[in-house]
Amino acid sequence: MQLKKKLSIVWKKRNAVSVAISNVILASAVITISFVVLFWAQSKSSAYNQQYSEAMNSDIAKLKERLVFEYVSYNKGNLTVYLLNCGTIDNITIKTVYVYFSNNGTLVKVFSSPSLKYFNGAPIADQDLDKGEEGCFTLSSFSLITGASYSVRVVTGRGSTFDYTFNP
Amino acid sequence: MTTHLTLRKIFRKLIDNPKAFSSVIGTIFMVLVALVLSASVFLWTLSQNTEYFQAVKEKNQLEVDRLNERLTAENVTYTGSRGVISVEVDVRNECPLFVNLTTLWVFDVNIGNYGVNDTLNICLKPGEKLSLRGFKAIKIKINGSDPSHIFNSWFITSRGNAVPLKENIIVAQVAEGIGSIAMDIKQFKYYIVPNVNDGTDIGTPYYSFTIDGTKYTLLCITLINLDPSHQPINLTKDSYVWAVTPFAETLKSDIWPIRKVIDNKLAKFDFQILEYGKPTQVYFGPTQASRSRGNVVPLFILLFGKIGNADYGQNIPFIAIRVT
Repeated sequence: MQLKKKLSIVWKKRNAVSVAISNVILASAVITISFVVLFWAQSKSSAYNQQYSEAMNSDIAKLKERLVFEYVSYNKGNLTVYLLNCGTIDNITIKTVYVYFSNNGTLVKVFSSPSLKYFNGAPIADQDLDKGEEGCFTLSSFSLITGASYSVRVVTGRGSTFDYTFNP
Repeated sequence: MTTHLTLRKIFRKLIDNPKAFSSVIGTIFMVLVALVLSASVFLWTLSQNTEYFQAVKEKNQLEVDRLNERLTAENVTYTGSRGVISVEVDVRNECPLFVNLTTLWVFDVNIGNYGVNDTLNICLKPGEKLSLRGFKAIKIKINGSDPSHIFNSWFITSRGNAVPLKENIIVAQVAEGIGSIAMDIKQFKYYIVPNVNDGTDIGTPYYSFTIDGTKYTLLCITLINLDPSHQPINLTKDSYVWAVTPFAETLKSDIWPIRKVIDNKLAKFDFQILEYGKPTQVYFGPTQASRSRGNVVPLFILLFGKIGNADYGQNIPFIAIRVT
């Protein structure tokens, strides 16, 4: 009833109409902009969430990876590395392998994506190590000094690194 | 009551004064946006962190289990025929966890070749003892291997631990008996080298107890660290082989200082690590045993170094050689 009275007063006193309209326009503009800002901010925050979630999932996957060196054998220029996936995640791929002197860190050679095989020499079809799976790769055509101390660093596709020191 | 009245007044003022209405809506929306966004981001981050900490917890549990895994593999014997080695061993699970043996590795020290059996899948309950003998013995193919050779072997568990297989050690032979380092007398050999310089090729070994005192001889002795603490022993340059001539009026002795051989060539000695349970070939010399010529002399293997941070010294006096 009060609102009706107020509206009739506004209608009768025409000089206040422009003020009312401007207020309505202003309010609707504010509402529209607010909604736009809300949706924009929400999309931004969901993008951030997505990014954060990807980073976190990648970290979690890295954390679950664990490779154990069962044996490293060097014979006539061929270095064979025997591995076991004893982590809690499947699909561990070998991206890069570094061989370096363990005493001073001098790099001997770098190998990219070596071919994974089973211990019996048969190639692993999917070229990755699942949970509990064993596999090996051979790095060929390079010479190591017998009796010196070397390290092998295996970098996985997810970015984890595993090191092992051996004497050829 | 006064506060309530004041709030009502303010609200009425706001309703009556339409000029401030848009600002009020704007402010409400701003607060709403801030609240919704911060709450959603906070809750999301919280859930992600929970997931991460769950993964960390699982990883830690795995590490704890891995560290707690205790298994002994003792009384190992190697039988079989040339090329196929049968490994007989007693295994005991000494931890409160189930242990799964996945792989057995056998390395033939004499020929430098190895074999692997990765189809074991032996599960041991907590406290369970298993005797892998007779038809249960594990067979491994190693080209050129013979049961009379020296072997290093180890199991791999599904948690990634390596468990070395130990031979039956008689206490009198080591530690409380004669010391932490044992020697394999059957593997005693020597090399004749042209000079003592670094980089000199040492050639092929002679398996004999008779040496030529006019030539430079490099002795090679196979030592095994059997220290009960399982710590590695680090031999320093104060280790020697000492030969003393008996029945001599004055002391006649020859000394072979410890030496390094890298890639079958003489090298400068820095240190020599003896890892627990691993037969290691240690070199001494080259020396011309000219003072011992014409005699059968005892060789005292004087070993000095460190176990952990403590000094360690031992003399192994079991080899005798004839010097011509």
